[in-house]
Order: sequence, then structure tokens, then C-alpha cells
Amino acid sequence: MNQNEQNFDALKMLLKLKQHEVPPPGYYNNFSGQVISRIRAGEASYSQSMMERLQSEAPWLVNILRIFETRPGVIGGLATSLCLLLVLVVVFAEHSERAPKNLIAIAEPAAPTGNAVASLAPSPLVAATDNSNSGIVASTNPVTSLQPTATLFGQSGGSTLFQPAGFMQTAH
Amino acid sequence: MSEPAPIVDASTPAGMLEGDLVKRARRGDLEAYDELVKRYQQRIYATIYHMTSNHEDANDIAQDSFIKAYSALKSFKGGSTFYTWLYRIAVNRTINFLKQRKNKHHFSLNDLDFNTENNPDLVALISDKTPVREVGLTELQKKLNEALMKLSEPHRMVVVLHDVQGQSHEEIAEIMDCNIGTVRSRLFYARQQLQGFLSEYAKLT
Repeated sequence: MNQNEQNFDALKMLLKLKQHEVPPPGYYNNFSGQVISRIRAGEASYSQSMMERLQSEAPWLVNILRIFETRPGVIGGLATSLCLLLVLVVVFAEHSERAPKNLIAIAEPAAPTGNAVASLAPSPLVAATDNSNSGIVASTNPVTSLQPTATLFGQSGGSTLFQPAGFMQTAH
Repeated sequence: MSEPAPIVDASTPAGMLEGDLVKRARRGDLEAYDELVKRYQQRIYATIYHMTSNHEDANDIAQDSFIKAYSALKSFKGGSTFYTWLYRIAVNRTINFLKQRKNKHHFSLNDLDFNTENNPDLVALISDKTPVREVGLTELQKKLNEALMKLSEPHRMVVVLHDVQGQSHEEIAEIMDCNIGTVRSRLFYARQQLQGFLSEYAKLT
């Protein structure tokens, strides 16, 4: 191994010759400038190629963008319209979230009977809304059907909420 | 009397630390990236040149490597130094280039600098250890490059990085994404091969 190391010393000395190979004078002075120029050119051509690609794939979008460029009033009007539409959607959504009064009235809690069987009676809501369908029907409205009611032994459970389910079997 | 060290303003790119330059370059600051290119251009170019033995190819690959590194800066996580990461890009691009080029070697060797003639080790190597053929430095340079090109790319890369560029085994392992044992074994095998190729021109054994 030691013999090999000695042999390699001579080879390593010869390889040092490679360190004396130098590029043409002034080569490194221009190198970084060329790299930065190519980066700048690449960025410019990238944005240009993006527009060309857009032109071939979605020319209608390019036409719209050009209209916006030439007529700034159009984009202003469009933005105003979009804002109005957004406001209308918000107002409408808030209005529709409120439950109708008549549904709440229907879902008023029944008087406590003190009997567990009473809770098994058909829900007024279900009874009122479904007379024709056959099969098992249950109320699916979680808001209007959750009612404070009496416990099994007639004790008032202030925080007890349950959803009465009514089952109606129509004879065929 | 030695010259006083130049005063470097820390607020200019030239006076900034590598980490700060990388941060600025990631934000698109080309002035900062220009400084990074200046700092590493010689080592990157030299490594690629010694791998290809062709100045034009080395120039193209070195520029491409710096451009690729700039576009990939956002993916640089800082797990290694910027220098190692940049080196890895350059090494991979060089090896890919050489694989595409296969065995079509076209030498475009750089000239030897003026100091070569005055390097006592090299002069001794020529005068004392070339008994088989009378060769000048330029011819020896050509034979050395030919011998290097006979090695496989990974073996040549290890020799170039270690024996020419002076990188440590650990750095080479990190750059080439392999373990240190692999680096050592490749280096040993590559040196043996080179000795065989060059024995006719220089007495190396």
C-alpha cells in the first residue's frame, strides 16, 4: 500500500499540470456578465412565450385583455358590476338563511305530558308535511325540531334537547 | 512590505456573506447573484473543463449550470452550502453532457500558463522521469488529457475533484451523492488506470 502511495505521488505531481491549464486571458472578466445577460434574456423570453402560448390556447382571453388595455373604463365597469353582484349574493344568502316563521310555529314544542309514549307521537312537522308518502319518514330539520322537553319522569330538564322522530306506516 | 488588505464594504454584494447573497438572489436580485457567480466561476469552470478537455463545452456547461442554479434557487433548502449545491448541479450537467456525447472527444485544450516552466516539480518530472520518450510539457498535457478521457465519468470526476481541484473526500462524497468509501475506491482505481495509461510517457512507477 505504501508502495502504491509513493507511486501515486508521482502521478499526483503529473496531475498538477492540469492546474496550469488556463482559459484565454480576460475570460473570467466577462463570464458573470454573460450569465446575467442570459438570465435576463431568459426571463424576457419566458414572459413573451407565455403570451404566445396564451394567444394560441385562449385567443378570446387575449382579446379581452387587449380590450381592457385599450379601454380602462370597461374594466372599471366590470369590477363595479362584480362587486354589486357579490353584495347581492351576500344579502340574498343572509335572507335565505332565516327560517320561515310558519315552520317555526309548526315546530313549537308540545306540552309536556310526563309520559314517554307522548314523545313517540308523530312529529307535527312530519305529519303536516308528509301525508302521501309511504314508508318511514323522519324529520331532518335539526333546528326546528330540537325542542326542550320533559324527561321521562316529568322533571324539567332545562338543557335537555332531543329530536323527536315520528314514524308513520301507511297501509298498502 | 506587504500590501494592505483591500477594504470591503459589507453593504455591497462584494462584502456580503454567501448566505445573505443567496437570500437576495432568491428574491430576484441579479446584482447579488452576479457576485455569487464571480465567487465560484473559476472553480466551476475548471472542474467542467478538466472533465471535458474542451474549453467551448466547458464554457457552455458552466454558464448553463449557473443559469439552472438561479432558476432553481427557490428549491435550495440550505441543507448544504450554496457552493456544494452549485457544484452538484454542475457535476450532474457535465456527466449528462458526456453521456450524450459518448466517446466523441474533441479536445480544445487551454494553454499552459507561464508558471508551468518554472514549476520545479513538473520540470523534474519531465527531465528525470521521462526516459521512454522525449516529451515536452505541451505533449505531456495532451497525453494526460487523453488518459483522463479514457476513465469513466465517475472515476474521472473523483480524480479531477481530488487530485486537481484539491477537494476532500467528504466534500466529493457530498457533491457526488455517494459515501466516502466509494470515493476512496474510485480514486484508487482511477489512479491505477492512469498510471497504466501514462507509463509510456512518464516514469510513474
